[in-house]
Amino acid sequence: MSMASKRILKEAERLAKDPVPGITAEPIEGNMRYFSVAMNGPEESPYANGRFKLELYLPEEYPMSPPKVRFLTKMYHPNIDKLGRICLDILKDKWSPALQIRTVLLSIQALLSAPNPDDPLANDVADQWKSDEKRAIQTAIEWTRLYAEPLP
Amino acid sequence: MASRKNFRLLDELEDGEKGKGDMSYSYGLADSDDVMMVNWSGTILGPHNTVFQNRIYTVKIVCGMDYPNVAPIVSFVTQINLPGVDPSTGSIDTRKFPVLNAWQPDKMIRSVLKDLRSAMAHEGSINRNLHQPPEGLVYDIEEEERE
Repeated sequence: MSMASKRILKEAERLAKDPVPGITAEPIEGNMRYFSVAMNGPEESPYANGRFKLELYLPEEYPMSPPKVRFLTKMYHPNIDKLGRICLDILKDKWSPALQIRTVLLSIQALLSAPNPDDPLANDVADQWKSDEKRAIQTAIEWTRLYAEPLP
Repeated sequence: MASRKNFRLLDELEDGEKGKGDMSYSYGLADSDDVMMVNWSGTILGPHNTVFQNRIYTVKIVCGMDYPNVAPIVSFVTQINLPGVDPSTGSIDTRKFPVLNAWQPDKMIRSVLKDLRSAMAHEGSINRNLHQPPEGLVYDIEEEERE
């Protein structure tokens, strides 16, 4: 087994045994490259009380290249576009092989608490966020209610 | 295989958005918030020195759940007179186009578009001079689907 496969296996084992609170990541297709992820919206954010679906893929070059992750649940967030693609530095040029699936998922969860409309991926949402933050947050709460799975 | 399909199509979309490749074809999602990325729209610029020159052809591409293991379903939206394209619906006889006929999972949407374009341009082929319908007409089948 290659170093990369060993590492992926270890990461997956740890994710299963010692999960990140509020996040589950389960391998699908049995090849340890694709993960089905569910993430609780952070408390005191517009995404609170919602559970969001994501999918994660580890490319052949992982861990030298970052994982690819996107939301499958519709999100109203300035750094997440209509297809669920996420604008986050560690998924691009700030990636380091020292980071892991776990850290990536935690960073995405943190991004939900701290939207950054100055580095937008969804321009219309970012404009709304900058011109009328209250209303933008209201919309995000509404979308969470409409599209996310409700948390008990 | 849904997930593999998704990440593969996200990569293809990114290439399409960046306009990789030459200017003779382009493609993107038919509906920009279709999270499952099923319906695509492609355009082919008619090749030089053929009857297709300076015309823009719109093509519909449907990537099903088993893409890229299974070829996409492709049809012309813009009317065209080309062997292998049904003259009344624009649907494609895959046997007439090598990429679709011998589909391989490493082929992409752009491979299909290039293949269709090369069918218009085959050196010495009669295709280059086939009489064409007036420019810009689309197949009626599209209208029916919309209703």
